[in-house]
Amino acid sequence: MNNNTNVLEVNSICVDYAASNGTVHAVDNVSFTLKRGEVLGLAGESGSGKSTLAYAISRLLRPPALITQGEVLYYQRKSARDLNSMTQHDFKSTPQNAAESSDAIEPVDILKLTQKQLRAFRWQELAMVFQSAMNALNPVLNLEVQMTDVLKAHRPDMSKDERAARAKELLRLVGIAPDRLRSYPHELSGGMRQRSIIAIALALSPEIIIMDEPTTALDVVVQRDILTELLALKDQLGFSIIFITHDLSLLLEIADKVAIMYAGKLVETASSENLSEHALHPYTYGLLHSFPSLHGPRRKMTGIPGSPPDLRAVPPGCPFHPRCHFAFSACKTNVPTLLNTDAQMQQHVACHLYDATLNPAGPPASLAREALPNADSYDYAQGTAMIPVIRKEKLS
Amino acid sequence: MSAEKHTNGTTASIMNEAITRNEPLSPGTILLEAEHIRKDFPLGGFQVGKLGAQRAVHAVENASLTLRAGFATALVGESGSGKTTVARLLAGMYVATSGSIRHRGVTVRARNEGELRAYRRHVQLIFQDPFASLNPVHTVGYHLGRPLRIHGHIHTDEEEHQAILSLLRRVSLYPPEQFIEKFPHQLSGGQRQRVAIARALAVQPEVLLADEPVSMLDVSIRLDVLNLLLRLKNEEQLGVLFITHDIASARYFAEDTLVMYAGQIVEGGPSDEVIQHPKHPYTQLLLSAAPDPDRMKTHTQQSLAIPTKVARSEPPSLINPPQGCRFHLRCPKAMPVCSERFPARTDLGAGHWTHCFLYGDESTTSKEVAAPSPLQTNLQEGA
Repeated sequence: MNNNTNVLEVNSICVDYAASNGTVHAVDNVSFTLKRGEVLGLAGESGSGKSTLAYAISRLLRPPALITQGEVLYYQRKSARDLNSMTQHDFKSTPQNAAESSDAIEPVDILKLTQKQLRAFRWQELAMVFQSAMNALNPVLNLEVQMTDVLKAHRPDMSKDERAARAKELLRLVGIAPDRLRSYPHELSGGMRQRSIIAIALALSPEIIIMDEPTTALDVVVQRDILTELLALKDQLGFSIIFITHDLSLLLEIADKVAIMYAGKLVETASSENLSEHALHPYTYGLLHSFPSLHGPRRKMTGIPGSPPDLRAVPPGCPFHPRCHFAFSACKTNVPTLLNTDAQMQQHVACHLYDATLNPAGPPASLAREALPNADSYDYAQGTAMIPVIRKEKLS
Repeated sequence: MSAEKHTNGTTASIMNEAITRNEPLSPGTILLEAEHIRKDFPLGGFQVGKLGAQRAVHAVENASLTLRAGFATALVGESGSGKTTVARLLAGMYVATSGSIRHRGVTVRARNEGELRAYRRHVQLIFQDPFASLNPVHTVGYHLGRPLRIHGHIHTDEEEHQAILSLLRRVSLYPPEQFIEKFPHQLSGGQRQRVAIARALAVQPEVLLADEPVSMLDVSIRLDVLNLLLRLKNEEQLGVLFITHDIASARYFAEDTLVMYAGQIVEGGPSDEVIQHPKHPYTQLLLSAAPDPDRMKTHTQQSLAIPTKVARSEPPSLINPPQGCRFHLRCPKAMPVCSERFPARTDLGAGHWTHCFLYGDESTTSKEVAAPSPLQTNLQEGA
C-alpha cells in the first residue's frame, strides 16, 4: 500500500450562504491535501466554517449554501475495488497521461459528479460521521436494520445472511458484542451508539471518513477509548480521516496534520508536532495557550482577547487583526494568503508577519519561540473593548 | 443566618464602585460547609414489585466539602456523576435527603421563600449555558437591576444605573453604557456569560457556585472568562465552587480539587497533589483519558490506550447503584471488600485524601490485588 499518495485534493474551494442581508462567505478559498492513511485535523471555533467545509467536500450542502468555486479531486485506488465493478464504470475517469507507476490513479472531481455517480461515491469512497452522532440513529429501528440498510442500498448482490454477517463483523470491529445487533438505540449507552455509528460508516470500507465533532458529547474516558480504537482501525483498514473538532489539545494527540480555520479561511497548516512546538500564526499560538496544561508550573494564561467575528461582517484585511497582538498596518488592508514558510517543514501560514515584503523586520521573537506576549500585564479592558468596534459595522 | 453586611445607603459614589462590601472577608474564612449530604430523587410512576420500597435515583451520597473565602474548590467528574446536583444542593435549589449544610457555622434551613432569599444573598449560582440562563426578552440592564432591587442594594434609579455600570465594569464589559440596553441575542457567548456572572455578583454574594461556567464557550474565550472569575475570586475573596469535567482547567483554576464518581466523592486535596499524584483508580483513569498535548501521538499508540478492562465499561446506573464503592465494577484493583461497603476516608498527608481500600481503612491493606469479581467479568463480556 502506498501511503504517500494523495487521496483527496481540495483546491481553492469557496462556499457562500445566501442570506437575506447579504452573502456570507462561510468557506473562503481553502486548499489542502489528504494523504492515504493520514489523520487530518481541522480545528476552529464555532462558526469558523469547518463543518461547512466538510459538507462541501461530501457535496451535502443544500441551498442557501452554494459552492461558488474550486475543485475537490478524489484519487481513486485502482487496484482495490474488485468488489464493486458495477460502480467503477460510473466514474468517467479522465485518462491520465503520466501513468508511470503501475498504481496510477485518476482523479475525479467530486464537485462535478452526477447524482448517480455521487450516490456511488458516497459511503463507498467517503463516509461521514456527523456531529451529535449519538442522535443520528433512528430510535424505532434496531441496529441490524440500520446497519444492513447501507449494504442493501450499495451492495444489492449481497444476500440477507451475508448482510447480517457483515453487520456482526462490523460491530465486532468497533468493540460491541455482536449479540447487540437486535438492540434498539435506547438500549445502548452513548459510547456504544457512537461506536455503532462508526461501524455503519465503515460498512463499505471507505477510503475517507469525515468525522464532524464525533466525540464532543462523550465523557473523556469513553472518548479516549473510542479514539484509540478508531486509530487502530485506521491502521488496520488503511482509510484516511478528516477529524473536525474545536478541541486542539485532543487533535494534537491524534492527528498527523492539523489545519486551523478562522473566519472561513485556513490560517495555518502543519504537522501536529510542528504546530505544538512552533505555531506560527498568532491565532494558533493563542489557541495553543488557551487550554491549561496538566503538567508543569501553573502560570497565568491569557487566551485570545475579543470574540470570533460575525461572518456577515468579517473585518477587512486579515480577519484576525482586531484580536491580534501583533497586527500592523498591512493587516488591516491586505488579506493574507497561505505562505509556505519552509519547504521541509511543510508548514503553511497565512500571516503578514512572515511576509518579507510587508514585514521586513521578520516575525516578533516572542512568537517565534516560547514566550507569551506579556501575559501578566494584559489589560482586560483593552481586550474586550475591541468587540464593539467589530460589531459597529454590523449594526449600522 | 448572619446578615451583618448589606446595609449601606451611600453606595453610588463618584468612584463608580457603587457596590462595595462593608467588611472584607479575611481569606480562608470557612463560608460554606456541606457534611455528609445525600440526595435521592424518588422515581415517580406506578411501582411494580418491591412493595413499599420506593425506587430512587441516588444522585449524591455522603458528600462533604468546604468552601473558604478566597479559595476555589473544583469538583471534577463525568456527566451524570452528580456534580450539578451538589451545586444545586448548596444553592438551596434542592433540599438534601440527609446531611447538613452550614453557612458560616449556621445550619441552613430554607423552609420558605424569605429564608431562601436571605440565603441566596450569600450564595449564588452561575449556570452552564449562557444562551439559556438569560431571558431573551429582557435587556442586560433588567437582568442586573432585578437582583439589586430584590436584595435591597439600591433605592433610586440613579443608584441602580450606577450599580449596573459598576457591575459591567467588574466583568470587563466595556463600554458599559452600551451594554445596558442590549438584549442577550446581541451578545456573544462570552459576553453573555459575563452578564450572567455580573448578575450573580449583583447580590454581593460570598460564595459563587460556578456550574461548568466555560464549557459552552468557544475555546479562545474560555480562558478570558476563567481569568475573570479568578480575578473576582482573588480581589473580593469569594469562595468558589468550580464544577468542571476538564481536569486541566480544575488545576488551573482551583486550589483544591475533588473527584466525583457516580455520586460519591472519591478523592480530594490540593489540586496539584491530586493531579500529579492521583491515588484513587478512578482519578488515575480520568487523568489517563484527559487530552494532553504533551503526550504526543508520536509516543506510540501505547500511551494513548488505557487498559481496556477499565475503559470498556461505563458509569453505573444510579437507580440501582452497585453496593460499596461504586467504582468497583470498573476498577482494575477491585477487591471483594469493595463491593461490600464504601471505604472510609484515608488521609494521605498534605491535605490529600481518598476513599479507597488500597490505601487504608483497616484489615484490607495486605491483599493488594484480588481476582476480579464475577460482576466485573460479566460486564466485560456484555460490553
